[in-house]
Amino acid sequence: MIIRHQEKVCSPQRLREGFEALGYICSDAIATAMYLACQLQKPILVEGPPGVGKTELAKKIAEYLAAPLIRLQCYEGLDEVKALYEWKYGKQLLYTQVLKDQLGDVLRGARGLEESVKRLHQFGDIFYSQAFLEARPLLQTLQAENGAILLVDEIDKADQEFEAFLLELLSDYQVSIPEIGTIKAKSAPIVLLTSNNTRELGDALKRRCLHLYIPFPEPALEDRIIAAQVPQIDRQLREQLIHFVDQLRGMALKKAPAISETIDWARALLLLNVESLDRPWVQGTLNLLLKYQEDIEVVEPELKRLLGP
Amino acid sequence: MQQVLGEFIAALRQAGVAVSPVETLDALHAMQMVGVADRARLKLALGLVLAKSRQHKDLYGQLFEQYFRALGSGEDNAGGDRPEQLPAADAAGGDIAAIASPLGQLLLRDDTAGLSLAIADAARREGVRDIQVFTQKSRYSYAVLQRLGMDGLNRELNQLRGQTPGVAQQHVLALLQRRRQRLIDRVRDHVEQQYLLFAEQQGQRLQDDALQQIKLTHIDIQHYRRMTRLVQKAAKLLASQHGRRRKQARRGLLDVRKTIAANAAFDGVQFHTRWKSVRIDRPKLVAICDVSGSVSRVARFLLLFLYSLQDVLPRVRSFVFTSVLTEVTDCFRSRDVQAAVAEVLRQWGNMSTDYGRALTDLQAQLLGDIDRKTTVMMLGDARNNHGDGNVAVWQQVYRRSRRVIWLNPESRASWDSGDSIISQYAPYCSQLEPCNSLRDLTRILSRLLKYS
Repeated sequence: MIIRHQEKVCSPQRLREGFEALGYICSDAIATAMYLACQLQKPILVEGPPGVGKTELAKKIAEYLAAPLIRLQCYEGLDEVKALYEWKYGKQLLYTQVLKDQLGDVLRGARGLEESVKRLHQFGDIFYSQAFLEARPLLQTLQAENGAILLVDEIDKADQEFEAFLLELLSDYQVSIPEIGTIKAKSAPIVLLTSNNTRELGDALKRRCLHLYIPFPEPALEDRIIAAQVPQIDRQLREQLIHFVDQLRGMALKKAPAISETIDWARALLLLNVESLDRPWVQGTLNLLLKYQEDIEVVEPELKRLLGP
Repeated sequence: MQQVLGEFIAALRQAGVAVSPVETLDALHAMQMVGVADRARLKLALGLVLAKSRQHKDLYGQLFEQYFRALGSGEDNAGGDRPEQLPAADAAGGDIAAIASPLGQLLLRDDTAGLSLAIADAARREGVRDIQVFTQKSRYSYAVLQRLGMDGLNRELNQLRGQTPGVAQQHVLALLQRRRQRLIDRVRDHVEQQYLLFAEQQGQRLQDDALQQIKLTHIDIQHYRRMTRLVQKAAKLLASQHGRRRKQARRGLLDVRKTIAANAAFDGVQFHTRWKSVRIDRPKLVAICDVSGSVSRVARFLLLFLYSLQDVLPRVRSFVFTSVLTEVTDCFRSRDVQAAVAEVLRQWGNMSTDYGRALTDLQAQLLGDIDRKTTVMMLGDARNNHGDGNVAVWQQVYRRSRRVIWLNPESRASWDSGDSIISQYAPYCSQLEPCNSLRDLTRILSRLLKYS
């Protein structure tokens, strides 16, 4: 990808500061990963529990580099027709109907089948050309003039066949379309793949990517994230809240609260004008943090201990 | 630096992190990008390229510290020993000339960095990295010392000792001897570190390999823990290989209904064809395990495997019997592996076998649930204490089920000897095989998952 402002990615430190200016507080690991991805022109596979800012990272890097973000959401049954390209069947049909008369002119005077076919061949594969090609996210990425950020979201949800299909794109930034040939990227994109690890990804895919694991953030980092996202919140309440969430993550829950849940909770507490965490408030808003009834039932009896003296 | 990285990657591979050549190149590039001055960042950057799963990341973290501490150890030592300066260097000037060998010079100058380099270099030349077992440690230490020029140093020291001793010379001699001893220690440490990095894992792997092949009846109880890990690994591997529901296309058979539906948008013009396909279903598995006295040693592992299997496959029902048949699916589900296996063995194990009774129970409890999609797996030696085998029930099971697999922990030679009545059941098994080792188990089950 042609990065218009090279100096923006000249060091991990610089990237980190840039992200911070956009309100995305990230750890050193994330900054280093993005730096290497930009410099080595390698795709980057981001794993981690849901809600730690994997997708957000792609959005922010696009915003930071002022490049278009093209997003491909994966799901079971996704195939290359939906991800890469499709022929515009309707248009093809319409054109053949309209051009029927023209064909008569072209073929006039031709003797025998052989000659007719020969004449038709002079026109090449008109109906299978770029004009009839409907570009889907992957092809759009390759055709982007100045490069783009491609986000392949939740790759673990897609089938293994699709994963294999991505390999060519990831290693050479090109794809092969049978009717047209190989299409190379005009300028190499920055590719981010995210995964929630619902299934183990193939080694071939992993080999082609940098691998970044984003864990739940350290309390200090989370504190800064909340401060950036919900600046109005009182410092003392913020610390209380982060300490509480950190304790929850230590418990055996079905789904531990992630950053996005912490942010939601902080916003809710702000709206409710809560000044300090106490049991009734927490009890009333716990469903913002915990998404399973079982988890809530586990946590509720412990509230007194968790909230401390 | 390239070589250092190469060795580090070799160590990673030994530890079980598969690093491909492409990744090695990437690591090199990454290292050039971030530089080596900032160690924390270097660790992050290499981690991105070399370790691609959470377990690998943990392993990588440990190894990185271990490896680069080993490299940096020279500098760590340097600080502490500084005060021990060579006294009155001028006074002893004439005699020090006797120490002319490079190693002696290094020791005399107390050049820690230089010594570190020399040791690393000598170790490389001697191929310490190829160390395989711990008994080789002393041999390698000796070889490295020789390579460093220990002989020459000893000769010089002897010479020094032989001369008329002055106070300063005595001092130099004592100092050198102390440093010589420290050098020997450091070489030993170096070899030890290399052993830990490159060979320890290998030893474990050798042991793992051996455990896979060894007969289940011959495994000591002390290997049980390691075996548990291996079994779980094998079961997980099986599940991940076959966890996906595969479709097998039946080429040549057009699915008319689907084709029409798919082309409705194009006014019935048939752009797409849809072919009939068959889904290969994951098997519904009923596993029955004999836990009687005669198979008690194997039963532990069979149960272990059963447990892991149930853990990773969705539709497994597990039963155990000695005479009464009992379902243990829930017991497995609610406890961890050690507790579950112990519980089953305590409650139902070690009594005398009665296949007849067990099969009668089976007829009452289970036969109704066995249908054409069910695979029945029996783990047992068919030693029935000369009782009636109730073969008719087994025949019914065979008729009703998709297939029947009987795994016998005894080798073929001892089938039908004594009170074994395996040949009575044999006609009603789709597959009857001896199952003696973990490797057998994995092989058989892999086939089960692939083709059922």
